[in-house]
Amino acid sequence: MVSAKTPRRRPGFFDILLAVPMLTAVAALGQTSPLTPPIASYEISCRLDTDRRTIEGTELLTWTNRTSRPAETLQFHLYLNAFRNQLSTLWKESRGEGRRRGERIPESWGSVEILRMTLQDNTDLLPTLAYIAPDDGNREDRTVAEVRLPRPVASGQTVSVAIDFRSRLPRVSRRTGWKGPFYMVVQWFPKVGVLEEAGWNCHQFHAWSEFFSDFGDYDVSMDLPVRYRGKVGATGKQVEERVSTSGDRVIYRFRQASVHDFAWTADPGYVVVKDHFHEAGLHDVDITLLVQPEHASQAERYLRAARAALSGYGRVLGAYPYDTLTIVDPPWGARQAGGMEYPTLITGGASYSAPRSVHTPEGVTVHEFGHQFFYGLLASNEFEEPYLDEGFNTYMTDRVLAAAYGPNHVNLSIFGLKFPLGIDMHYPVDANRRFFEVSTRDIHAGPSWKYIDSRSYAAMSYSHTALALATLERLLTTPVMDRALRLYADRWRFRHPKIADFIAAVNDAAGKDWTWYFDRTFFSSNEVDYAVEEATSVRAKAPKGLFEKEGKLEEGPPPDLARPRGWTSVVTVTRRGAAALPVEVLLRFEGGKTWRGSWDGEARWTRFTVTGPRLVEAVVDPDEKILLDTDRFNNGRRVEKDPRAAARWTSRSVFWVQNLLDFLTVAW
Amino acid sequence: MRRNSLACFGRGLALALSKPYLAVSLWLIQLLLTAVLILPISNFLHDLLDYSVAGSRMVANPDFGLWETLQREHPDILGNLPDLAAGLLTTEGVRFSQLADLRGIGAAAVSLAFLAVVLHAFALGGVFGTLREPKASLVTFGREGMRRFPAFLIFTLATLAAVGLAYRWIYLETGEALRDRVQALDTEGKALAVTGVRLAALLLALAAIKLLADSVRATWVARPDLPPVSRFFAGIAAALGRPIRLLGVLVWYTLTTAFLYLVWLWADPSAGGEARFALVPLILTQQVFVFVRLLVKVGYYAGISEALTRVPSPEYSYVAPAPAPESAPPAEPRTDDEGPVQNPA
Repeated sequence: MVSAKTPRRRPGFFDILLAVPMLTAVAALGQTSPLTPPIASYEISCRLDTDRRTIEGTELLTWTNRTSRPAETLQFHLYLNAFRNQLSTLWKESRGEGRRRGERIPESWGSVEILRMTLQDNTDLLPTLAYIAPDDGNREDRTVAEVRLPRPVASGQTVSVAIDFRSRLPRVSRRTGWKGPFYMVVQWFPKVGVLEEAGWNCHQFHAWSEFFSDFGDYDVSMDLPVRYRGKVGATGKQVEERVSTSGDRVIYRFRQASVHDFAWTADPGYVVVKDHFHEAGLHDVDITLLVQPEHASQAERYLRAARAALSGYGRVLGAYPYDTLTIVDPPWGARQAGGMEYPTLITGGASYSAPRSVHTPEGVTVHEFGHQFFYGLLASNEFEEPYLDEGFNTYMTDRVLAAAYGPNHVNLSIFGLKFPLGIDMHYPVDANRRFFEVSTRDIHAGPSWKYIDSRSYAAMSYSHTALALATLERLLTTPVMDRALRLYADRWRFRHPKIADFIAAVNDAAGKDWTWYFDRTFFSSNEVDYAVEEATSVRAKAPKGLFEKEGKLEEGPPPDLARPRGWTSVVTVTRRGAAALPVEVLLRFEGGKTWRGSWDGEARWTRFTVTGPRLVEAVVDPDEKILLDTDRFNNGRRVEKDPRAAARWTSRSVFWVQNLLDFLTVAW
Repeated sequence: MRRNSLACFGRGLALALSKPYLAVSLWLIQLLLTAVLILPISNFLHDLLDYSVAGSRMVANPDFGLWETLQREHPDILGNLPDLAAGLLTTEGVRFSQLADLRGIGAAAVSLAFLAVVLHAFALGGVFGTLREPKASLVTFGREGMRRFPAFLIFTLATLAAVGLAYRWIYLETGEALRDRVQALDTEGKALAVTGVRLAALLLALAAIKLLADSVRATWVARPDLPPVSRFFAGIAAALGRPIRLLGVLVWYTLTTAFLYLVWLWADPSAGGEARFALVPLILTQQVFVFVRLLVKVGYYAGISEALTRVPSPEYSYVAPAPAPESAPPAEPRTDDEGPVQNPA
């Protein structure tokens, strides 16, 4: 229930808000034409108090029941309450750790209080408000609230709810909050859940997932101290900027149709860089980069990455449909706000030293932009199927980065400064190697908070999915995979797809059933590991024994067998992992000849015996299609040993051990 | 006449070049220690790569995938040694408790490092003692090393403990204490500057510890006429009396060593596969590099001795011995550390 201290405000807000003259001009401002019929639309006016770190807001929610059943209740996300105290589900699941390893959530508290909630007929809904915990039953978690409606909202009917709220922002931790004068205001207003045929789908705020909402049109006004003038970014298009008559405040207004969330940011330190994306066949986009002064030299890298992403994703999944894209570069000490996605607004992450051969900030920019498709337009349920968002996007991120930049490079961080080591990291395998560390620990069978730990969640949702899709692409071929992705994107744009919908798109694009592949990779924790166990080649010998010659048994082979030519080569390929996938086997012979065969991979092993030129080497999966293979170094075997690599690396190792010993002793 | 640090270091290098067997002996000690690891490393790599198709691609170039696979599939080979090495270069540093996760070759390497510290105490006795002998040989090195070993081992272990404490209290604990404040700074540049200050403080402390220790060692050898406690404090006083000159010698030594490493990394003789250096020339090149670096190291210790020497020497000070007359009989081996001063000033 709402705190007894909550002040009641005067009724009639709804009428007053509707009477605000500026609303009459709404249709003439910004991008107003919805791309999809709205379900949950918001008009919000808010005021930022930088002394108290609070936002006072009024919100008008217009919600339509698109299900076939009447709605007797409304459920709301109140996500800032995850930072209310250490008993919240978020705090418990994360054990007080930040989004990155080693970081702690600062003990700076946040909350969102609903001060008033009325229907258009002024019916007060607040007395019926109750906090619920549909996921874990945690009675101390206040991130989901339910109100009972006096009358059910019938199918197809629309209801308007006026809400006054006060949000208290924490110091930036897990995406949202402030750091000095910097504000990243996300998950900040009471937001209605998703009503499905089975009922409300309104999950609590968890450590590793937060997004699932219906599409709608947003019209948001923010009132800030005047020092933030020109340094504000938000979801959608800015349609108004005006200084208050007192001169100490500045009011911004942003509008965006057909999105499912609204985020905004302000920092007087931002350097604002504008760019425009234009490419034939794709939608023109105005790009705004809000970058920290110490990262201003990396602005072009941010923008180039954004352009590469707009092009790369757009060519495969269809054009990004919005007019704007805002990229936010969080300041030092607010890294936990970085690397996030919101409709038409993403947060990146740059570092002070950013060698060009290391893809920072490019990687995070491309990835977060990609969420405009997977999460944004294809608004899958991140709580229940996180891989549809993170994994699919990681797969596409790797494709775009590989095409635009080539391989990444290993970097060594020396006291906070990054230095490239000149060692290539190839997309997608090297970028997703964390999956191999946990390859058999988990499967994609549950919601995000049911993974064994955060490491497993990240490895499975991001990396495993990316590698499984990249493997699928190599098995299907890229054009077929692109057809499947486009089919999926076109069918489910502005809707809530599930994994079965993607599988259906793959089957349709490929013209045959590939469900087995998903059963063996997505929905199995079986390991994939093929190996060449044996590769030998011996000169063919004449057989000994008794042979028929002119009807008699005589010792010694007949002339046609007496002088065998060539070599007999034997190659044994084994399936060490439990997962079976079809693979190819390549035998390479002296003189440059090759032989290529295929194996369905179902049995534990298979053997190839070939007579001909001398075998040089045998390789299973020579084209590296099966990227889920946990150990690629047993995939090939030579007949003759080549000790050069081992000898040279031994000498290098010994040399550096010598140096290390000297370094360790010289100090004392 | 006061010599500056560069002159001291230069004279030290000249002295090291005149007695190359000192660098040879250090090189041999290191090589023997490292030899313990040659077979484990070699056997493992040959087993992994000799028949591997991927191995043929790795003759010259490292492979990130192999490195990751090796650590994942064979955690018993190195344990957390790579993390430990990388952690030394982070703003957080590493804790001694992390040594518990070392395994296999990684654990053996760290154990060898401890053994190297002990042998280093012996080697320093030999180096300092031999540097004072006008005519010396490897035999002198061994004799002097053994003579000074008990005292030098105590100095070395005390220095090791002091270095550990300095690392903990100057780097680790300040990092922990300042963590929230660093996060609250405006910019990453300022945070890096804080790390730089922590690092500079640590390096300064380590330099002070090292110079004090080396000064005590040099004085210990040079002033056998004094009782042990007096020698110890004379060494401390000598360091405190000439801090800039001693620090200068250390700085020249560090710069020269860094220059050698830069040349090595730039030339990168290990790269390029067979095209640049075949295996045997590569190993020879590596060992020549190690030897040159050890010559510079001996030069540093000789430079420290030079820096502590006054010319002309006042009474009760110490000075590098004058060359012995041609006709003088070879010095008899001493068995007593409290023997007569050969060339009292």
